[in-house]
Amino acid sequence: MTHEQAQDGEGELNDMDLRSEIKKYIIENFLYGEDDNTLGDDVSFLENGIIDSTGVLELVSFVQNTYAVKVADEELIPDNFDTLSKIEAFIMRKKENATYKHIDASQESAIVS
Amino acid sequence: MLHTIISQRASQTPEKVAVIQGQRRITYGELELKASRLATFFVNTGLQKGDRIAILSENSPEYIIAYIGIHKAGGIAVDINYQNTAREVQKIINHCLPVALIAERRYLDGIESCVAESPSVRTVIGIDRRSKRPASPPERMSTASGHLQYRAFDDVAQSDAGCGVLPVMGPHDTAAIIYTSGTTGDPKGVMLSHDNLLSNASSIISYLHLTEHDKVMVMLPFCYSYGKSLLTTHLQVGGAMVLENSFMYPDVVLKKIIEEEVTGFAGVPSTFAILLNRSAIRNYGFPKLRYVTQAGGPMPPQHAQELIQILPDTSVYIMYGQTEAAPRLTYLDPRDVIRKAGSIGKAIPGVTIELIKEGGIPAIKGEEGEIVASGRNIMIGYWNNPEQTRKVLRDGKLFTGDIAKMDDEGFLYIVGRQNDMIKSGAHRISAKEIEEVILGLQAVHEVAVIGVEDHILGEAIKAFIVLKEGAKPDAQEIQRYCAARLASFKVPKEVAFVSDLPKTNSGKVRRHMLKRPETYTHLQTSREDALKT
Repeated sequence: MTHEQAQDGEGELNDMDLRSEIKKYIIENFLYGEDDNTLGDDVSFLENGIIDSTGVLELVSFVQNTYAVKVADEELIPDNFDTLSKIEAFIMRKKENATYKHIDASQESAIVS
Repeated sequence: MLHTIISQRASQTPEKVAVIQGQRRITYGELELKASRLATFFVNTGLQKGDRIAILSENSPEYIIAYIGIHKAGGIAVDINYQNTAREVQKIINHCLPVALIAERRYLDGIESCVAESPSVRTVIGIDRRSKRPASPPERMSTASGHLQYRAFDDVAQSDAGCGVLPVMGPHDTAAIIYTSGTTGDPKGVMLSHDNLLSNASSIISYLHLTEHDKVMVMLPFCYSYGKSLLTTHLQVGGAMVLENSFMYPDVVLKKIIEEEVTGFAGVPSTFAILLNRSAIRNYGFPKLRYVTQAGGPMPPQHAQELIQILPDTSVYIMYGQTEAAPRLTYLDPRDVIRKAGSIGKAIPGVTIELIKEGGIPAIKGEEGEIVASGRNIMIGYWNNPEQTRKVLRDGKLFTGDIAKMDDEGFLYIVGRQNDMIKSGAHRISAKEIEEVILGLQAVHEVAVIGVEDHILGEAIKAFIVLKEGAKPDAQEIQRYCAARLASFKVPKEVAFVSDLPKTNSGKVRRHMLKRPETYTHLQTSREDALKT
């Protein structure tokens, strides 16, 4: 999956698509494809044991590679990564604070911080 | 015994803080009072010396109160890993037949049937740390036939039930049963006496130079022997524990270490891999952090070296042990960590280590042999499993199954294992147990599970599967099937479908070939190809 799928017709990230994409990634990779409708937008990954300490590292890699945002070590905190809504808000904040640069397979270096 | 030491601490320094979790501060006085009330409750409800009481809880002050209370009442504390599935919990309950279960309320819903139908469990005590109200029972427990009593933990720990006559315990009485994965796939309950636990703790206290001023960060679960040794050592010495149950956000833990002026930190190799690769550890200073310990599997020497560079004023200890040894067997002195990179050090005080070759012949320096340990810390045996006990305990010595060699200066280096155990993160996992579960799938003809190198976990679980003709499951179906039956840390991270497994002439799977991709590539197929066979 690439970030292009999370863009609407204007080339901007679409909130719903972004959240759905992250949800799909979590279901595929941490719930083994089983969506029992418990993964709501504000369900804590930590409190519900959905992701563990190594899983969150995979999630960060996914966010970095898919949405072209750089996640600093000190940004790996519950406020940014513990629910679908928080991840979405984090990505949107990063996008607002940085010049959005398109990234695809041939433009790995376009990661913004 | 630990509970008598705590009683002394509580009478000498009742206001001293023993446990910190979030905003909670639990003193030795409070620990003693609540553990005594719990013990009295158990004695009043008919607990006999040697009865088992299971604990199913994350690390918390309630866990510690329960553990000490069980000892005071003359019981044996049985740890059940809270990450286990209902199926795994049931196996343990049916194996050790506890008379009572102390469990976090959130875990009870999933296991209420097996508890309600257990022939042994008479009392369930529910812990609810998230609610201010006492925990209410699950429906089936409240309606179960009269033999099952449900009580809220806070009700029991806060009610003065009078003075029951508590039994006198001896050092060789069993204090705890810790379940560990066996090579046969069935769980093995390691029986540890009070003397096993306290003698090992005394040894650890001596080489780590622990005092009442020490405060350790505890992220390792108490249901594991490494976590349990943090509890035993720090309560024995009158120190304090800071409990953090997740390492998902490492910077939260690092800030807590600074804020609480923590003096000791304990981790497994994956803990340090995460700290070094995905935390801001280099941005902080840890003026109070006196020592760091690592055990639970081999840590890459470069990680140890990097850790020393980042924490120049902190002593880094590399350690080795087994649950069956309560748990510590060797340590590498911080002064030798660079000079003897990759070594597990030498025997701790009170432990003797020998290397024994096949045929019972002692290995000479430089030769490989099985690590065989003796000392007061060696377990009593496996609960209700004399056959497995005989395999590892001979003449009072523990045959660890780990193969090592010794250098000219007497430092030990592990070079391999005799069994098929996988060490992933903080977990020791039986390949056989996972294979047995996967074979339960109709579609599977054969399976072999191994640990493959993982830069964070040390080893990650990989399953090689030969499907039956016409079968079409995908990797996720296999993982879902496992997740419904096994704790999440036992679910294979990778699944490969192959046309055949490499075997010896006698039909035994050549696991070492599976570990080295270049030796089995000819066997690997795409899923489509595998389905054709």
